[in-house]
Amino acid sequence: MKFLTTNFLKCPIKACDTSNDNFPLQFDGGKCQLVQDESIEFNPEFLLNIIDRVDWDALLKVAGELGNVNLPPKKPTFPCTVPQLTDVGMAVLNDLHIMLLQTSITEGEMKCRNCGHIYYIKNGIPNLLLPPHLV
Amino acid sequence: MLPTPYVKCDYNKVYEPAEDSFLLLDCLEKEQGFLNERFNNRLAVVCEIGSGSGVVTTFIMQNKIIPQERSIHLAVDINPWALEATLDTAKLNSCENSYLDVVQSDLNACLRDNQIDVLVFNPPYVPAEGVPDFPESREQADQWLDLALLGGKDGMAITDKLLQQLDKILSQDGVAYILFCARNRPEEVVKKFLKTHNWNVKLIEIRKAGWEVLSVYSFTR
Repeated sequence: MKFLTTNFLKCPIKACDTSNDNFPLQFDGGKCQLVQDESIEFNPEFLLNIIDRVDWDALLKVAGELGNVNLPPKKPTFPCTVPQLTDVGMAVLNDLHIMLLQTSITEGEMKCRNCGHIYYIKNGIPNLLLPPHLV
Repeated sequence: MLPTPYVKCDYNKVYEPAEDSFLLLDCLEKEQGFLNERFNNRLAVVCEIGSGSGVVTTFIMQNKIIPQERSIHLAVDINPWALEATLDTAKLNSCENSYLDVVQSDLNACLRDNQIDVLVFNPPYVPAEGVPDFPESREQADQWLDLALLGGKDGMAITDKLLQQLDKILSQDGVAYILFCARNRPEEVVKKFLKTHNWNVKLIEIRKAGWEVLSVYSFTR
């Protein structure tokens, strides 16, 4: 599972929907195995579209749990189009590309901050299916 | 006509692409212009619920129904074998440069509200006594496969569940493509949906396939 996907997943337990703690899921950094996969090429336009969309606070939380504390505390702002980007801006986008699109969690655990239920990632695939007694 | 992905899976474990899958592909091809205009300058989160072999998601990526630099793809299935098949199919068709993640989940249960821009759903639409229980282990492949087919009363048990959630699933500009068979009585379903939702529902394609009549409707706010 790519890092960016953590920005779209919540705890599937219905009762947690009323809490604000069902997203993002909390990662157990010590148990997570990360790999770099370079098959998606750097495309600044793609990154600009993604940054525009992401929940930055959630990203910060997950990054911290996975051992990356170098993210700016506030969502960086960029010019709207690629030709207006400065070299510095381009470098920041490239770093975000490496983190959000090229970093995958292949094995690991993530926990709901509200109910504490643990979900597993195995072989790169997150399993958010609930056991029958929790449905 | 856009090319159909090459698919090679174990059909004892995952749903084999059939007329319903191909109807969805034709729909998406037809909708390409509309989707490109709608998500012209922004990211589209594309999600297929029940991706099975991965033929539909791969088709979307392979043919850039929404260009690579404007889309990320999430393929959800309840069947663990389907998730592996979806990844395999994407790879087999050289889609590595597209953003794809697969997630094991019951419908949209694990998706954050109002984040999906393009939803594609080919449900288990075959009328049946009921909807099968989840298998207890990964190895019960035929039982996982049953989940892809059997849709309970009128074949609508699962689609009804999804329709009730549609307002929570889709983003403000989101669009959903949902497949029906005639026995689902789609006209009545749509009429009922419109009673409680002030949305636009449009018939995109309808086709006779053997003894079934299949249709795809789009849902937008």
